[in-house]
Amino acid sequence: MNTVLGLGFILLAGFFLAKLLGKIKFPSVTAYLLLGILIGPSVGSFLPSDLLNASALISNIVLGVIAFGIGQNFSLQNFSRIGKSVLWISVLEATGAWIFVTVAFLLILHQPFYIALVFGAIASATAPAATVMVIREFRSKGNFTDTLLGVVAIDDAWCLIIFAVSLAVAQAIYNHMLAGFFLFKVFSASLLTILGAFVLGAIVAALLSSLSKFLRSQAELLILTIGFVFLTIGLALRFHLSVLLSNMFFGAVLINIDKTPLKFFESLKTIDPPLFLLFFVLAGANLEISILPKLGLIGITYLISRVLGKMCGAGVGAHFARAQRNIKKYLGLALIPQAGVALGCALIAKNDFPDVGNMIFTTIIATTVIYEIIGPLCTKYALHKAGDVALQSSSP
Amino acid sequence: MQVKELMSKNVITVTRSTTLKALLTMFIKFHIFPLVPVVDEQGHLAGIVSFQNLLNVFRPYNPELLKAVPFLDEEGEDNIFHIDLTEEVGNLVLVEDIMEQKIVSLREDMSIEEAFNLMKMHLKEEFPVVDKNNTLVGMIGVFDIIREVFHQKGVI
Repeated sequence: MNTVLGLGFILLAGFFLAKLLGKIKFPSVTAYLLLGILIGPSVGSFLPSDLLNASALISNIVLGVIAFGIGQNFSLQNFSRIGKSVLWISVLEATGAWIFVTVAFLLILHQPFYIALVFGAIASATAPAATVMVIREFRSKGNFTDTLLGVVAIDDAWCLIIFAVSLAVAQAIYNHMLAGFFLFKVFSASLLTILGAFVLGAIVAALLSSLSKFLRSQAELLILTIGFVFLTIGLALRFHLSVLLSNMFFGAVLINIDKTPLKFFESLKTIDPPLFLLFFVLAGANLEISILPKLGLIGITYLISRVLGKMCGAGVGAHFARAQRNIKKYLGLALIPQAGVALGCALIAKNDFPDVGNMIFTTIIATTVIYEIIGPLCTKYALHKAGDVALQSSSP
Repeated sequence: MQVKELMSKNVITVTRSTTLKALLTMFIKFHIFPLVPVVDEQGHLAGIVSFQNLLNVFRPYNPELLKAVPFLDEEGEDNIFHIDLTEEVGNLVLVEDIMEQKIVSLREDMSIEEAFNLMKMHLKEEFPVVDKNNTLVGMIGVFDIIREVFHQKGVI
């Protein structure tokens, strides 16, 4: 199969499989991932090797685009609106999963600190698609639902920060394992990555905002926006900064300094869907099924400690924010799905740590499939228990 | 020419606490639901309501909240013919619940060329107009500008 034929096949097969699995209430993300596994080298081997080799390129582009969009959350207006509960719960459920998974990998599995840290950071992400699908299906309404939506909307932003910090620390440990001034080097390398990403994001945002007065059409807007997102990704890679953080800061600064910033984010949405589809299919195709049997204990530890971390973190957050009892008790359970951002982070880890990357990536992809199946069931249970499921039905 | 010279100054506005019922009744004689500015007690522009926002009443949550979330399945248009709403909805739902807060407004001293350009850029046909204190002072639509250009060319 030639490359273009492969691209056409992926897009069309992804479209039909998503429609098909949509009938049994699976998010499109799961369909794309399964398609990737089916046509990837581990199972069907249909995928042209050119495309498989382009995985890193496509994931960098997609992650840059996603991170840029997530930056929108950091508008000052948004922070004043989302409220104390959402802020506390989202920060602590993400941090809770991070700490629980890291500690579990250190104490139960006796993994090196840098591997535990990377797993912990990836665990902080949540996938809103499955959660939102359940809310739509049950037309649930109420305080619990509002808080849940607020939390899943901002959660990925915390995940990107946690992941960038953890990755910087993990890389520093990995690269300076035998060097002197160990702590100092780890600390300065992490700080440099984050500060550098902020400076790059801020400069690019200021440039795009000042150039936007020359824009005359939607086409020009799209070209300029993509151009600057690619520029940020490229410069971040060139200077070894975090692609995710640089683009998130780019979006965050842009939303606060530009007079009409929404147009940039809206314009990118017109090209997102096929790129995202491709990203998930290629992620699925990168799964190495042969490693799976060896991952039993790692997978189970990850699955359980992440859920416990989310539940405890959300509970503590709800306690600090003095949220209602049902939120304290059940919100963490509704945050189990994991997909896009976690996979993206795992792909980065795969490239950055060649010797253990495959193990990290395969664990995340396998647990994603499991979480996407059990996650919606847990969300349904939580919504029912919290008493937010509407009595009237929307079914035709 | 500036926006303030062309805009309509008599604008129907609502407040955050206007009920859905009052809102729907207000425009009962209209064939198309216009872009309705929402203002606070001081007359500052707080948001807008469009026909799209009216459809939010049929949705379990406000989609505005999830605008920045990646990988969300495109929301299939809820079938408004098959969703049950009760009579109380008319009084329970307020403009505040459905209005859009992230909006683009034009400054009254902006040139009409710039305003026309922004309409093309945002694919919108009308915009609320504010002064430097964000107080709503009028509305301007694409037809106001086109008509003026025809006028300047001597067609009308």
